[in-house]
Amino acid sequence: MKKTLTLLVASTALTAAIGVPAWSAMQAPSDVLRPVAALFDDAPQAIPLVLASDDDDDDRWRDGSRRGHDDDDDDCDDDDDDDDCRGGARSPAPAGSVAPPQNGLFGTGAPPQVQVN
Amino acid sequence: MKSLLATLALTTALTLPGLAMARPVTLTTTLNNYGGDGAYLALYVTDASGAYVGSLWMAGGKSKYYEHLSDWYRATGGDTAQVNGITGASVGAGRTLEITLDLADALFDAGYTFHIDAAVEDMRDSPNEVAVPLTTNGAGTPVTGRRYIASFAYDM
Repeated sequence: MKKTLTLLVASTALTAAIGVPAWSAMQAPSDVLRPVAALFDDAPQAIPLVLASDDDDDDRWRDGSRRGHDDDDDDCDDDDDDDDCRGGARSPAPAGSVAPPQNGLFGTGAPPQVQVN
Repeated sequence: MKSLLATLALTTALTLPGLAMARPVTLTTTLNNYGGDGAYLALYVTDASGAYVGSLWMAGGKSKYYEHLSDWYRATGGDTAQVNGITGASVGAGRTLEITLDLADALFDAGYTFHIDAAVEDMRDSPNEVAVPLTTNGAGTPVTGRRYIASFAYDM
């Protein structure tokens, strides 16, 4: 009996030891975690994410093949950098700045890791 | 004493399975050298009936271009909340995008299908560029896209 109790206490303590920090980490603002996470990120993972940004210009998309989306009457074609042309839709929060959506697809573990080669 | 034992047994039983309910899955997408600007990619999942379940990743940060990811856009109404926290930069021609996500085990072998919509400035949109069933047996098997994607595979 004592042995069983000891085992259960140990397993509960172990689970709590793993779970509580993980839960806290998930709840903490990403800025708090970033310095720690940076220690474990190797450079090849971090750098391409920045360099791969090919969409920094405000070029127009002229795919008129299906929607007649021409260049002249699109309010999105202005030169400012706002993204609120689709009925006020704002651009999404980038990865790492907020938690992934609660759509049932994601577990409760590590945040997304992305790399572009 | 018995109640303590019961409580401990219950907490252990409830907590341990939780650690095994998700797994890291790496999604690797390699683009063709199609000779255009960076591609916007929407990675999302539908259920067995074809209904949109949720998004896994959005490559491309400007919501004004999301209408070109036409299947995704139709399913979500362009709701950017669907891709909050899972959005990165667009992907250049010839590049490989590798994303590792902690995905629910329930996604696999349960009739779900993974999709990628693709769009490139000044080039044709390509909805449903890739559509693959999510199965454990299908892991590691590359598939070819219709227009911009040279290969896609998921690994567990």
